[in-house]
Amino acid sequence: MQYGGAMTSCCRMWDTVLQISQFTKRVDVGSVAAMANYFNSLSLREQLAELGKCRFMHLDEFTEGVDALMGKKIVVIGCGAQGLNQGLNLRDSGLDVSYALREAAIAEQRQSWKNATENGFTVGTYEELLPTADVVLNLTPDKQHTNVVNTIMPMMKQGATLSYSHGFNIVEEAMAVRDDITVIMVAPKCPGSEVRAEYVRGFGVPTLIAVHEDNDPNGEGLALAKAYAVGTGGHKAGVLMSSFVAEVKSDLMGEQTILCGMLQTGSLLCFDKMIDEGIDPGYASKLIQYGWETVTEALKYGGVTNMMDRLSNPAKIRAFDLAEEMKDIMRPLYQKHQDDIMTGAFSSGMMDDWANDDAKLLGWRADTAETAFEKTEAGDMEISEQEYFDNGILMVAMVKAGVELAFETMTAAGIVADSAYYESLHETPLIANTIARKKLYEMNATISDTAEYGCYLYNHACVPLLADFMTGITSDVIGKGLDLSDAGVDNARLIEVNAAIRSHPVEEIGAVLRGHMADMKRIV
Amino acid sequence: MSETQIKLEDLSVDFDGRFRLDDITWAITPGQQWLIAGANGSGKSALAAVLAGEGDHISGTLVGLPGNVALVSYERQAELIAAELRKDDADILDVISEGTPVSEIIAEVCLDDALAQELVATLGLKPLTDRAFRKLSTGETRKVMLIRALTSRPELLVLDEPFDGLDHDSLEWLQGHLAALAETVPMVLVLNRFDECPDFITHIAYVDGGQLLHQVDRSDEQSLAELHQLIHLKTSELDVPAADPAMALPSLNPDEPLVQLSKATVRYTDNTVFENLDWTIDANEHWQVSGPNGSGKTCLLSLITGDHPQCYVNDIRVFGFQRGTGESIWQIKQYIGYVSTALQWEYRVGTSLRNVIISGFYDSIGLYTKSTDTQKAIADDWLHVLGMAGRSDEPFTGLSFGEQRLALIARAMVKHPPLLILDEPCLGLDDMNRQLVLALIERICRSGNTTVLYVNHRLEDAIPGIENHLALG
Ligand SMILES: NC(=O)c1ccc[n+]([C@@H]2O[C@H](COP(=O)([O-])OP(=O)(O)OC[C@H]3O[C@@H](n4cnc5c(N)ncnc54)[C@H](OP(=O)(O)O)[C@@H]3O)[C@@H](O)[C@H]2O)c1
Repeated sequence: MQYGGAMTSCCRMWDTVLQISQFTKRVDVGSVAAMANYFNSLSLREQLAELGKCRFMHLDEFTEGVDALMGKKIVVIGCGAQGLNQGLNLRDSGLDVSYALREAAIAEQRQSWKNATENGFTVGTYEELLPTADVVLNLTPDKQHTNVVNTIMPMMKQGATLSYSHGFNIVEEAMAVRDDITVIMVAPKCPGSEVRAEYVRGFGVPTLIAVHEDNDPNGEGLALAKAYAVGTGGHKAGVLMSSFVAEVKSDLMGEQTILCGMLQTGSLLCFDKMIDEGIDPGYASKLIQYGWETVTEALKYGGVTNMMDRLSNPAKIRAFDLAEEMKDIMRPLYQKHQDDIMTGAFSSGMMDDWANDDAKLLGWRADTAETAFEKTEAGDMEISEQEYFDNGILMVAMVKAGVELAFETMTAAGIVADSAYYESLHETPLIANTIARKKLYEMNATISDTAEYGCYLYNHACVPLLADFMTGITSDVIGKGLDLSDAGVDNARLIEVNAAIRSHPVEEIGAVLRGHMADMKRIV
Repeated sequence: MSETQIKLEDLSVDFDGRFRLDDITWAITPGQQWLIAGANGSGKSALAAVLAGEGDHISGTLVGLPGNVALVSYERQAELIAAELRKDDADILDVISEGTPVSEIIAEVCLDDALAQELVATLGLKPLTDRAFRKLSTGETRKVMLIRALTSRPELLVLDEPFDGLDHDSLEWLQGHLAALAETVPMVLVLNRFDECPDFITHIAYVDGGQLLHQVDRSDEQSLAELHQLIHLKTSELDVPAADPAMALPSLNPDEPLVQLSKATVRYTDNTVFENLDWTIDANEHWQVSGPNGSGKTCLLSLITGDHPQCYVNDIRVFGFQRGTGESIWQIKQYIGYVSTALQWEYRVGTSLRNVIISGFYDSIGLYTKSTDTQKAIADDWLHVLGMAGRSDEPFTGLSFGEQRLALIARAMVKHPPLLILDEPCLGLDDMNRQLVLALIERICRSGNTTVLYVNHRLEDAIPGIENHLALG
């Protein structure tokens, strides 16, 4: 395998980084307008150190359980997907949880108010709850963070803790938090519904924790983050000790490219191609809607290797070749996404859209709803599990190309392999599940606005990029499957392909991390 | 072979006020060979005897019985011996009677001398032919009964435990003989041990409490397996397997109730499920909770298990914990075994039957910890109790719905929880599986230290041993 493209990306990124590394480090408290970028304010050495922070923690590092949070008053801001489900878990772990909602939400008895009230939580205004809070969990949408944090900070008591589940506000917006406040992050690598469902089963979801070095006045950030991860059940599924920077840069990259972008682009292209090829629209719709879930389920158990092994030998070689071809075409796009994430160009572009009433986001969302794939109901024919592989060779190839490219691009940019694995391969089946529920609509509704924006951005670039490639595609790789009557396989070629699949670095780290999971957890 | 169907319709039969068969509807069609199965005292022998004309018909009809029905049973054997003893009494004034010799007893009904000779020789009775019948051992009289039945050219042969007490050679011969005879003579067998069921049997009737509850065509493998399991649960005298000593639960204060709800209320923005409900569950007081759909049965239970979020705004004390004072949900759940249809729907984890049972030690759906050898052995013991021995490695999702339910009950019981909550455990099960589940619960209620909380909206599915009743709605 060659990683030439990825190396180029790497060098290109350093150029940009070097040009802009002169930024001042801190921004004044209260400066709302100037959206500085924390990452860009770091020196190259610091940037590399932050990006490279990532360690898989062992279960025996969590023997203190939730002790560090026991008896402390935890106040959650926002009661949406993460807010509600994390809160339910923390309370069931014996912790004191209440919700501070903005006044309008309480006055209008909005969904967030209902969520908290019907679940028997104390709900109050910021003024009522924040001054006595020991730990404040900011679980509002990322877009609101600057506004929310600036509002709540003056009400927080001396020495309290502020927690995030995504580091965007700190890293991309350089939110400067009062010096006496401890700032931590506990980021479940799953949608909120999964966070709850896995806890109830007696397990948890993989979780990334971090302490913002600039805001750890008493050195207790790590202990609090660990206790919080235990409270949500995350420690049972595996915790990565990382940094705000590494979390943001890898999270953004994964969600924009393989996790959401690639699945959206793949869905649209595969559907249109099948219609061109005269395949029944109901069948085409079903093959895609449930196909992602089915083929990526194989990823979950045994990585790319296992997913490819589900294909017949001739189909595997075809999928391999298609993936290689797509990787060459898409590599510059993956690099551009990573570059823009690193330089802050992505976030400033998105913030411009925020300032512009989400014009782009809403426009793209409406366009997606109008696509032929979204509008065609899945047929009620039976499709066997194996048929999803046999007739979805191109989809398998797209998953392989996307996972490997995202992983290669992230690691080349200095993100540690463990982190790159979680943000690419690991999360793909979780996102694929959302498409199985209600197509792209469901996926885009479940993920954060940031992910949705990035997903559309990718899709808009990727569809035209693959147009040429798609003209060469016929129904044998999407919709009908190969005619195997005369498909011999050259042994030497098969050995070569198998070796290439198995020796990819995402497979190496995947085997290690899945091994951890199997050791300490789910025995399947 | 006879061409007439034997038909019992809504037949109720009384046996001297000692026992009753009720509402039996059954048809024996020519070509079918039946086995009647059931626990001791279920009425299986009575049903067999009805075919030989015994008992007083109270209602219903019985038509199509052939003229010559041969019955071999302990009762018949006892009657014949009693008759012989009475003869002794009658002759007491005269000479001391030797009693009727075996040869004569056989000759009374024999229509096939050649066969009789052969049978006497094969069954080793030759040296005994001149001996008085009443002087034979039980096994020997049984053989004589068999010879009488087999040589009487029966048009229907009814054999109640024919293999009991036979030595190995005789048994083998008899089985071979019956197999050959089955070509021409319709038979009804009663057997205690299901594994002795001969190959020629085509249908099985299952009797319990004087009722014919199931009729299974032997080619229907699924039903046959379930019946097999039901009979196993009803007839074998196994104990509930031990708990894992390494996972002993923190002990409870014996003076405190297991559960205490004070003015429990569950309310949503637009409706109130129930309010101001007081309820105390003391150890070893089994409860049945009933009420129509929507009356809040499941909701009430989930306040106890901690699965309902409003447990934190109610005054609830469970296993010594006042809810909402820093306890974790796992500290509560460790004392509870729980089974419901919802749990079964949620339990879609790709794991083995053994692991599903072991997951009960951890209150998890799926198993996320390495299990110990002790736990594996306990799980296998449970599978033995369920009549599923040797199937530990089968994938749970591949089991039938009823088998999954049984396995989940074992999962709930594996840690010997102080409280076992069964939320409509029979829901969605067919009749046979319902009885399987009820049989298992009955055993658990009898077995000691677990308090059972049984939710069912059908009062008729009552379980012996559950005496307290809470009606909702
Ligand atoms: N979704 C995921 O998969 C995921 C995974 C990991 C981490 N995260 C992170 O978790 C955080 C929360 O995301 P989410 O998906 O849970 O968001 P969400 O479902 O959109 O919920 C946001 C909540 O915040 C409230 N809110 C919105 N605007 C507000 C404002 N200006 N001031 C105060 N409250 C406001 C909303 O309630 P009202 O509008 O009623 O006030 C709502 O309850 C984000 O940082 C996200 O990146 C998400």
